[in-house]
Amino acid sequence: MTALAEHGGIAALVAVMVPLAAALWLGIRRRQSRHSGLAVVLGASVVALVLTALLVAVVRQGQTPTLMLAAIVPPVRIAFRVDAFGALFALTVAGLFVSALIFAVGYFRDDERQWRFYAFASACLGCMLGVAFAANLLTLLAFYELFSLLSYPLIVHDRTPAAFAAGLKYIAYILGGSALILVGLVLVYHLADSVGFVPGGILTESHVPAATPRLLLVTLACLVSGFGVKAAIMPLHGWVPDAHPAAPAPFSAVLSGVMVAAGAFAIVRVLFEVFGADLLSRLGAMPWLSLLAALSVIVAAMLAIGEQDLKRRLAYSTISQMAYVPLAASVLHPDALAGGLLHISHHALLKGGLFFCAGLIAVNIGATRIGELRGLARLMPLTALAMTVLAAGLVGVPPLSGFLSKWLLGRGLLAAGGTLELAILFAGALLAAVYLWPLVFLAWLPAAPSRRALKQDIASRWMTPALVAVTLLSALLGVAAFLPGFPMELAQLAAAELIGVAR
Amino acid sequence: MTVEVFDLRPVLAPLVSFACAGLVLLLGSSARWRAAGSLAAAGIKFAIVWSMLPGSLAGQVYGFTFGEILPGLSIEFRVDALGLFFALVSSTLWVMTTLYALAYMRGSHSLRRFFGFFALCVSTTVGIAFAGNLFTLFVFYELLALFTYPLLIHGEDLAARRAGRKYLVYTLMGGGLILAGLVLLQFTAGTLSLAEAGILDPATDRRVLLTLFVLLVAGFGVKAAIMPLHAWLPAAMVAPTPVSALLHAVAAVKAGSFGLLRVIYNIFGVDLLGELGYGVWLSALAGFTIIAASLVALRQERLKARLAWSTVSQLSYITLAATLLAPAAALAAVLHIANQAFAKITMFFVAGAIERSTGRTGISELSGIGWRMPWTMTAFTVAALSFMGVPLLAGFVTKWYLALGALRSGYGGYVALLAVSGLLNAAYWLPIVYRAFFRPGDDEMSEAREAPWMLLGPILVCTGYVLLLGIGAQAPAMPFSLAESAARFAFGLEVPP
Repeated sequence: MTALAEHGGIAALVAVMVPLAAALWLGIRRRQSRHSGLAVVLGASVVALVLTALLVAVVRQGQTPTLMLAAIVPPVRIAFRVDAFGALFALTVAGLFVSALIFAVGYFRDDERQWRFYAFASACLGCMLGVAFAANLLTLLAFYELFSLLSYPLIVHDRTPAAFAAGLKYIAYILGGSALILVGLVLVYHLADSVGFVPGGILTESHVPAATPRLLLVTLACLVSGFGVKAAIMPLHGWVPDAHPAAPAPFSAVLSGVMVAAGAFAIVRVLFEVFGADLLSRLGAMPWLSLLAALSVIVAAMLAIGEQDLKRRLAYSTISQMAYVPLAASVLHPDALAGGLLHISHHALLKGGLFFCAGLIAVNIGATRIGELRGLARLMPLTALAMTVLAAGLVGVPPLSGFLSKWLLGRGLLAAGGTLELAILFAGALLAAVYLWPLVFLAWLPAAPSRRALKQDIASRWMTPALVAVTLLSALLGVAAFLPGFPMELAQLAAAELIGVAR
Repeated sequence: MTVEVFDLRPVLAPLVSFACAGLVLLLGSSARWRAAGSLAAAGIKFAIVWSMLPGSLAGQVYGFTFGEILPGLSIEFRVDALGLFFALVSSTLWVMTTLYALAYMRGSHSLRRFFGFFALCVSTTVGIAFAGNLFTLFVFYELLALFTYPLLIHGEDLAARRAGRKYLVYTLMGGGLILAGLVLLQFTAGTLSLAEAGILDPATDRRVLLTLFVLLVAGFGVKAAIMPLHAWLPAAMVAPTPVSALLHAVAAVKAGSFGLLRVIYNIFGVDLLGELGYGVWLSALAGFTIIAASLVALRQERLKARLAWSTVSQLSYITLAATLLAPAAALAAVLHIANQAFAKITMFFVAGAIERSTGRTGISELSGIGWRMPWTMTAFTVAALSFMGVPLLAGFVTKWYLALGALRSGYGGYVALLAVSGLLNAAYWLPIVYRAFFRPGDDEMSEAREAPWMLLGPILVCTGYVLLLGIGAQAPAMPFSLAESAARFAFGLEVPP
């Protein structure tokens, strides 16, 4: 373990590189062998997961391994640093990717072009771990932009006109966001002569005496709105409801579970490790972020209620749920932030699981609309049960994981004096119950006489275990959250590091 | 800090390719001799130019003077950081282009003329890079214009001749302006040396200075394709692909941008120019060119035409960076000579390889080609991402320093312009990538084959450089620190910008 602590930076690099190398290998070999390709990608993602878990152990001992790589625009380097926040996010990413890849084996069983999915998904995993381990804004942007671009082939995998339309929308939004981030990045360097992540921020007064509030606000706006595109903060969310139904289910799960969260992750990094809580409270921009996040929570949830397509409803739910993170960040209180960070992890599994359900249902009975779920429990009892548990978790029914993150978040909001935010949180949970209830309710109703028969399907052999694993894990995160090394501990550690208040 | 060293290599570098050009022109009717002569010239010069890198990094300036032709006018070679950077880029690319051209031009007519003048062009380009005074630079600059002409009209049809005429008219007019500026400069400053960071006396009459600036900038601006002096460049697309690569990346347009850098950093100097404020207008013009040329590029249906308009846009990055008069921006100006060159030459090589393999030149005909020619189109994608400014690739480095320079010099608006330009680049490159990889090809396309190794090799090497320039700023034997010392010299700084 000490050896790992010393070479933790290398471990992080390996965790990033192994999935990328697997993707490259698959890209060069292409369709020659399905099974060896699968084995390589799955193996690589498991290696990444194991390394991430080891890094979590290192971080828990209070270490922050770092690794400096090439200076691409001297003196700014590509660099990795593994802190509690990064480790938490990396663990979530790796965990969800592994289950999504397993799920994909069943989902794509007859697909000629499935190797493309595995290759690009594996590359995305590597790049997302790069985002999680990035030690500075430049490294973060580099990997962020890479996985954003590499996601495109995954979104349009089905090659339908709808998929291409969604892909175009996605790429336009993301590139616009990237341009804003680039401007913000250069502004940060211009002001601080550094782009490194430092708890407490680098744009503090001692560093940048000359910076005018206006320039700081422009920088903040560029970065938050740039990453906000991915985090789907309204009104920058337009690509989300189109991209999710267009993408194949295993990728929808990843997209909702961790990719949207990557935007929120980056926003938190920018807020607390570039600007710092002190500067933010002086700048007075946080109420605006609060307002936008609150609007996203409520409006997206209402749109979800009106949506009859299962995956679209889940996509709107993601917009609503992920807005809790900026909401939590905007009150600048460690308890609330811990809740928000925990919510990233818990939401990832819950939403990923729900998209797995959607995928299983679409493959097995061809249903994509909510009305068609009637009688599901008769045909696919396990899926219906998992969906029920996951939906309850997302709404926040104790003792499931969603309850815990919201509880923590609510307590933090109250401690920070954000009563209005607390009301938003409750309203969001209520609305979540409203838009998720029909899924559960219809599933357990007796079947209508004329519904389709279940296709006898071996695919479920791969898909169901992935779903069950995610569901069980979600339940476990709820009842055993206090176990060491679990997201709860990491989130609290991370929040303490980010805001700088002792636990 | 810098030590002037007498050395033969600065004059040897252009002479070698000059001699080889002679060899090719004399004996080049045999394919074997042609190839041997061209490759030998490229290889030897590559070695000579790179051999000067360690010394130059250590602060040595190699020089060689031929004595005066007329009083005050001498042919002088001098290898400073900026010159060596340019020479490194062009001699490296020349090796690639020669290899590519040998494969690409196989079976074409008049190959002796083609490879002879090809060698002459690169010889003069290195002459421009190593010129120790503006007179020497001008002589080689004019020679370059003349030597390019036979390459441009290689097709010998009406369109080629028309484009050639346009090219000659534009460049000779530019040359005339430079000549007038040269005379006025000699009269005003008493010297044409490029060894100083500014040779003009700040007390000179403003009208004279303005005239000088306009003459020299307009003169070099023709080749640097600043709007409205750009029209020859898109027309020159009729030339064979290796020539386009030569024009767009290795020699011609870069000679114009290089001349501009010399005028700004060595003739006027950043202090005087900052005081005069002429740079503001030039940067506005460059900013306009960046956007306007991109908008035109968006509407081009032929791949090479889109590439040409993109060059017009990208060259103005160099002009803009130079006129911002900030150290970081100067670094961007020098670096972009390499960054644009390697990415653009990759694209031209790809366009040529596609034409060779499928005979197609229109963008709408490229559906599905990505899976038929995966290596080629992956290379194209990397180059496209570089132009968009994706980090870890060469284009990002330029954008970073350019944006930083804009902020540091107080023209933050250009940062927004760069962001828009990046989006426009995405708008005209990504549809090609999309078509190649995500659209089903027609029946004919399913028979297309990957390019042969002689074409693919140079493509992959140049793509490797795009990546290396993006992440390897401090890797050994990368000319980044050369660009840094060029920027330091222009601003009289001791520390890196």
